[in-house]
Amino acid sequence: MRKADRIFGVIGLGLSLWCYLESRQFHYMTDFTPGPGFMPFWVGVILAILSCYLLYDTFRRKPGTEDDMKILPHKHALYRVGFIFLMLFGVLMIMPLLGFPITVCLFVAAILLILERYSIIKSIGYGVAYAAVTWLIFEYLLNMSLPKGFLGI
Amino acid sequence: MDILEGLMGGFATCLTPYKLWMALLGCLLGTLVGILPGLGPSATIAILLPITFGMDATPAMIMMCAVYYGAMYGGSTTSILINVPGESSSVITAIEGHQLAIQGKAGTALGLSAIGSFVAGILGTIGLVVAAVPLAEFSLQFGPAEFFSLIVMGMLTIIFVGGKSIPKSLMSAMIGLGLGCVGTDIVEGKDRFTYGTAELLDGIDFVVLVMGTFGIAEVLVSAEEFMKVEPIKVKFRELFPSLKEILQCKWAILRGTLIGFIIGVLPGAGPTIASFVTYGIEKSVHKHPETFGTGVLEGVAGPESSNNAATSGAMVPMFALGIPGSGATAVMLGALILYGLKPGPMLFIENADFVWAVMASMFIGNVILIIMNLPMVPLFASLLRISYALIYPAILIICVIGAYAISTSLFDVGMMLIFGVAGYFMKRADIPPAPMLLALLLGPMMERALYQALNLSHGSMLVFITRPISGTLLAISLIMCIAVGTKAVKRARAMVKDEQN
Repeated sequence: MRKADRIFGVIGLGLSLWCYLESRQFHYMTDFTPGPGFMPFWVGVILAILSCYLLYDTFRRKPGTEDDMKILPHKHALYRVGFIFLMLFGVLMIMPLLGFPITVCLFVAAILLILERYSIIKSIGYGVAYAAVTWLIFEYLLNMSLPKGFLGI
Repeated sequence: MDILEGLMGGFATCLTPYKLWMALLGCLLGTLVGILPGLGPSATIAILLPITFGMDATPAMIMMCAVYYGAMYGGSTTSILINVPGESSSVITAIEGHQLAIQGKAGTALGLSAIGSFVAGILGTIGLVVAAVPLAEFSLQFGPAEFFSLIVMGMLTIIFVGGKSIPKSLMSAMIGLGLGCVGTDIVEGKDRFTYGTAELLDGIDFVVLVMGTFGIAEVLVSAEEFMKVEPIKVKFRELFPSLKEILQCKWAILRGTLIGFIIGVLPGAGPTIASFVTYGIEKSVHKHPETFGTGVLEGVAGPESSNNAATSGAMVPMFALGIPGSGATAVMLGALILYGLKPGPMLFIENADFVWAVMASMFIGNVILIIMNLPMVPLFASLLRISYALIYPAILIICVIGAYAISTSLFDVGMMLIFGVAGYFMKRADIPPAPMLLALLLGPMMERALYQALNLSHGSMLVFITRPISGTLLAISLIMCIAVGTKAVKRARAMVKDEQN
């Protein structure tokens, strides 16, 4: 956990600096009351103190079994998590182009085929089923407007 | 309005086919969420929120509450049958429950946990009805100074009780407060942290944050490994514990209910902490504490009653004060605001029908759950055979739909993905996301209360100390800080001593 804490300590310091710089663009106080810069200023200050404490604590602590846990999972898990995230990012990119049902079908099929090692037929089958069920439920039963692609669906 | 009269009115409102169907649907979803690891009640309620936008507030809230307490019923199933808690509040159930399952008493453990949950659910709801009304009446005296002090106290409790490390919880809360600053500020109408992005002018939607940090992040953590489970089989006739076993656990159930309800009322200390405290107490009052860990019935009945009673307790500050005590109640509070209701004491005056209907529905929901959970446990348990590989893509799709539905924009989906990745790494670094969520919700409320209080007092900070209720709340906060600080100093000194030795 020491490495993770160090990384979060540095991220915390960065965020605190961001809050502080943002707060400088606004009034800290108005006549009687705190101005728009009041809250970001104090968030920045407290976050900076906490981040420094977290960093200091990582140097003070002795390394132990639990303490050496890494922020990144092992290679295989990282591959799985990274793949899922990339697929989700892909959904975000292609949904305006292909529309909801086709994107969902591709997303599910890709995850099952590549990550979960399902057969190609099963993967496509589940993809079509998931897309059809969610599309019917949300578009028709719940009357939601889902993104439409070039095919009009 | 008289409590009994209000409750009867509530039953009259919610005893319609549509609202009963919503309660049934909520109970079913809650049980499923409790059973299936990878998605908690907070994320489920958040996902349901955009879907229920078109609904009336009463049936929507009936369903969301049912998801919350239904998850407590379902959580025990996986704990007992596969030693994997479906819910964090059922972690402790796994210790005794799974041992009982190995000894061939899975049915007894499941039956006792369902009966304990039912008793605690009913008694907890009575507690909610009895406690919320006087508290709401009392809080009518609250002005901006009192609300500011109450929010400070609530946030401190969440930080001190919520996570393993106080600095990390505090960091999480600070990030939440920072996120709460995004958007148009209330004092001068200036845009903070928006950088010309129109979608951020109204601030970061808390539903996006919840679905990211609770939904996407939980799925990413669960999907790190192939999950293959082989649950212990249970037969229907084995599900009913004997009268002797029920009587043996009666005090454990009642103690669990009382402890759970009290802990649930405290901000930040939700069902999980309630179940841990109850387990500790059961162990200490048991004639043979050394047998704990080998499959003791009281070790299942007590914590399971406790986590259910805590859900009712957590709704007391939500309804009466408009202050959420846990991640799930924070989402429900946000839902109330989205439906155009004013959470807090005025809710009991302006929307009395709504509050009483939701409270009455909790009695009905608990009856539905005991009927659903006792005979249908074998069916729910068989769901555990469905591969997680088929479940998590569905959860992710629903999260995407939920985020998109907020403002029919893919911008929110993108934000959710960013929060999902942040939430995943926060989990890896043991930084609890709940303080961040609560701070995002409470931060703007706190800023507004501070602004109003100082405006009324012409800038005098003394208003927070001289007003009796506000002063008392701040004194309690100070005592908490001193107690926690003293403990931390003692621990640090002990560590230094250890190193020197």
